[in-house]
Order: sequence, then structure tokens, then C-alpha cells
Amino acid sequence: MKILLMGHPNVGKSVFFNRLTGANVTESNYPGTMVDYTKGWMKIEGEDVEIVDVPGTFSLDPKDRAEEVAVAMLHENRDAKVISVIDASKIERGIYLALEIIEEGYPLVIALNMRDVAEDKNIVIDADRLERILGIPVVSTVAIAGEGIKELVSRLKEAKPINVEDIIANAANASNTESVADAGGAA
Amino acid sequence: MKKKLSEMDYAEQGTVTGIEDDLRKRVAGMGIRVGKKLRMVTKQPIKGPVDVVVEGAETSLGLDMAGKITIEVTK
Repeated sequence: MKILLMGHPNVGKSVFFNRLTGANVTESNYPGTMVDYTKGWMKIEGEDVEIVDVPGTFSLDPKDRAEEVAVAMLHENRDAKVISVIDASKIERGIYLALEIIEEGYPLVIALNMRDVAEDKNIVIDADRLERILGIPVVSTVAIAGEGIKELVSRLKEAKPINVEDIIANAANASNTESVADAGGAA
Repeated sequence: MKKKLSEMDYAEQGTVTGIEDDLRKRVAGMGIRVGKKLRMVTKQPIKGPVDVVVEGAETSLGLDMAGKITIEVTK
């Protein structure tokens, strides 16, 4: 099995990578570019799993070399699962990228990383509710402190392709009540 | 009052009303879409980039990109 760590630049993908793989790291240069990516291995329930730390990208519509590499890596690994790492304090644009990846049919789990930073900004996210809307595992994490990593790994097996129509329907049902993210501190 | 994002002054706020077609997808992933509220934080000198806060998250754009985004300035 292969797992791609994807997300915006500076959301903690590499911290996740180091947490997941420990010291068992190989550094590679993606052919034809100057952009590095990193891969390593971990064991999940006895199975060897390859973890790839994909360069940060804002969308699947690449703007520069690093983003081109990120998108190419996704498309060259059609059978991979994706851990979508999102900065919980900037959830709106993080979800945008996650939805783009879901739309392409990849099984996905979401790591709402930097939960502590978000809380400092008075942003509290109802991960359970987001999970019900998206239909995939959503786990709050603080990667640098190791919080939530075990839960994330244990829930990887629940990742499955989701039809975007289902998400739209779930979101419509949920929008009658309170909003998912309560960004009280945002001016 | 409508303005280009590149013409907004420090601390002005407004709602995105238009983005030129060729730019629309490029800025969507940064949270800038029609209907979003944003606030100007900093403009860098010598035609440098503009910094804006959208939905509580800071992002920066080149001045030429900012010139393709129209804002209804509210205050």
C-alpha cells in the first residue's frame, strides 16, 4: 500500500512524515525537476506501507514547478490512499484541496493539524460533524506533539472513494443547523 | 465603491465581486473566490505583492494578479 501526504505548504506534512516513518527515511529527487520529495516506510498492522511526503500545493491546478510535481505524483499513483493534511486555522482553503482530491476518486482521510494553533485563534472545529458531512475520517491532530497520529493511522483503513454528490447532499442537510467551523476570532 | 484589489488601501475591507477568468482557478485554492470577504493587510513597496486576510487566513498575491480582482469596498 502507498500513502501520499498532501496539503498546502507549511501545514505539517513533513512533521507527519517523520512521526510516521521514524528514522527510516530515503530522500529522492523527482526526475526532471529541482523539487525534492521524501519517501519512507512504516508498518500498519503487519503490512509494509510506503509513505510519500508530497511537495505542498494549493490546488490541483498547478502554478509552479513544485505544484506540478505534487499533482503529477498524485496522478501517477492512482491506487494510493491520501492523507490530506490541513491547517485547522485555515480550514476553508484546506478543504478546497481535499475536495479536489476526493473529486478525482482517491480514498482520503483528513488530518486537521495544528489544532492547538487554531484554538489560540478561537477556532474550534467539530471534527465529528465534518466527518459525517464528508463521509471520510476526520482526525484532529497536533503533529509536533504526536497528538492524534495513532488515531489517524488506525482509521486509514476506513478511507474510501466518495461521491461528491453525497457530500453536497450531506452539507445541505447540515446547513439547517449551526455552522461546522466557528471562527470567532477572525476579523 | 468598486476597486481593484491592487488599488485597495491599508486596512480596507470588501467583498470579492469579480475575478478575471484566467485567474479564477489559480486563486480559488488560496480561498479567494467571488463572494468572499477580505481585508488588506500590507502592500509591499516597489510594485511588490499585496497581503490580504480571507476568512481569517493571510495570503499574498502578486500586484498583477491583484489587478485582475475586483472588490466592492465596504469600509
